[in-house]
Amino acid sequence: MKHTLRKKFYLIFLNIFYTMICLLALVPILYVFLLSISSGGGALLTGSLGALTLENYRKIIVEEPFLTWLFNSVILSVGTMLLAMGTSISASYAFSRFHFKGKNKAMWFLLLLNAFPQILSMFAIFRLFRLMNLLDSHLGLVFVYAGSMCIFGIWNMKGYFDSIPIEIEEAAKIDGSGNLQLILKIIMPLARPAIIVTGVMILIFVWNEYLFATTFMLREESYTLAGGLYQLQANDYSRSWPLFSAAAILVSVPILIIFFCIQKHMVSGLTAGGVKG
Amino acid sequence: MENTKKKYLPWLYCLPSFLLIGAIVLFPILYTGYISFTNMNLYHWQDYTFIGIDNYVRALGKVDSGFLSALATTLLWTLVNMVLDVAIAYVLAVGLNTDGLRAKRIYKTLLVFPWAMPAYVSILVWRVGMFNTEFGLLNKIVTSLGFDKVDFLSRNVPAFISCMVLNLWMSLPYMIVMIDGGLQSIDKSMYESAVLDGANPWQKSIYITVPSLKKIMAPIVIMTTFTMFKQFDILYLLTMQKGAVSGSTLQTIITYAHQNAFVSNNYGLSSAVSMVIFVIIILFSLWTNTAAVPERKGK
Repeated sequence: MKHTLRKKFYLIFLNIFYTMICLLALVPILYVFLLSISSGGGALLTGSLGALTLENYRKIIVEEPFLTWLFNSVILSVGTMLLAMGTSISASYAFSRFHFKGKNKAMWFLLLLNAFPQILSMFAIFRLFRLMNLLDSHLGLVFVYAGSMCIFGIWNMKGYFDSIPIEIEEAAKIDGSGNLQLILKIIMPLARPAIIVTGVMILIFVWNEYLFATTFMLREESYTLAGGLYQLQANDYSRSWPLFSAAAILVSVPILIIFFCIQKHMVSGLTAGGVKG
Repeated sequence: MENTKKKYLPWLYCLPSFLLIGAIVLFPILYTGYISFTNMNLYHWQDYTFIGIDNYVRALGKVDSGFLSALATTLLWTLVNMVLDVAIAYVLAVGLNTDGLRAKRIYKTLLVFPWAMPAYVSILVWRVGMFNTEFGLLNKIVTSLGFDKVDFLSRNVPAFISCMVLNLWMSLPYMIVMIDGGLQSIDKSMYESAVLDGANPWQKSIYITVPSLKKIMAPIVIMTTFTMFKQFDILYLLTMQKGAVSGSTLQTIITYAHQNAFVSNNYGLSSAVSMVIFVIIILFSLWTNTAAVPERKGK
């Protein structure tokens, strides 16, 4: 009897504790949301919100080139995802299924390259792209993003492919399927969690990247959402934070939606099936 | 004929991705290495000359070059953040898995929000919404308690702690979700027999949970360590962004290299620093390689 009572108190304590932790996690986000629907930056100083309004949202969509930026973001992230996934799926299949000389060394070398912070070679890429006339072009950025996410894709999907029993493929091979057919018809459906999570991670990476987007894109109308938003708050000396907050919310919502849609695959897709989610 | 085809087939599969990685990742690193031996800067954009290892001497040899203190800051940053990240996430994940905690799913969903938010948005939001002396929530709390306003970002130690708090806020959700996933895969019967043997919760943690998690978590922890080591956005956006320089002189090696390349336009020195960082990363990889990679070998 005493034992269950103690357990009950413990559970109440835990519930209070986690409610507070969740509040801590959410306070900054809620604060921004409140800011975005408040009228005028003065509200921040006084602490009262003033009248609630969607004016900031209207302003950001109509008065800033928001839709152009959105279009750029979509083009870049989808283009990058296609290029990076297209190249890395076949490579991770080869790494997972074939035995060949230098395989482990190549995998390790890729990991090493991935550890090099891309910001550090940004200047070198900038110089090269200037020579090759790839600055200020979507294609150039797609190459940069796809190149840097390709290694993540190979490693992440290779691990998952490893966890798919090879017997399934052997059966299909006897039926006369070629390797490419195997990838398309057997591996891709079986590795769905890993492929979805990897693809979405690449998408989110591009959506959120601002440093390359602002360094390599020289005109305002070729910025992505992240780059545009970054410039908006860097250049705007009036510092209209309600406006920025509205933009921040608008940029985050699509990502939040995608993220929560794939959440159930997240753990298994990111840990090569070694962990049950 | 069949044999040679088999020999080259794997490389053929890898070719597209290797071309891409070679052009975008490998070649720029080599090029950075090349630049590091020249005096390339804003005034010598085309007519740069080779100056040997001068840049390396300048970065490593002079104590006041700022590189060595940046390196120390980076190591301290990585260590403190990793320890806190893993320890706090462990406690929170284990707590979430208490029997009878019915709202677990709700808590888990809410806790994921900081992970899902775009990083730069979170950082800018914290800069204004939390740390700012005028608008920041933290200062509102501090002043309402009767203390003087605190300028969180203008001096080095408070700035370091502020960046760390933000970094933990951003990285804990991922760690919690991963450890939580790891906890699901531990065989429950082990705990039952431990209880029969009279083990207390602390002993269960030390002798069952932690050792079981070790194997699954090793690659994740190593990857996260690299991410922490590479962390650039937080310090850059909080303290040194153009137009919002806060006054602290805190630098990690990554911001130091970036600062030299894109602010003082000393490309040669910046490249030398980048190459030194790369060597450090290689050494670190070699060291962790022996510990982690065999676990992931698979087939």
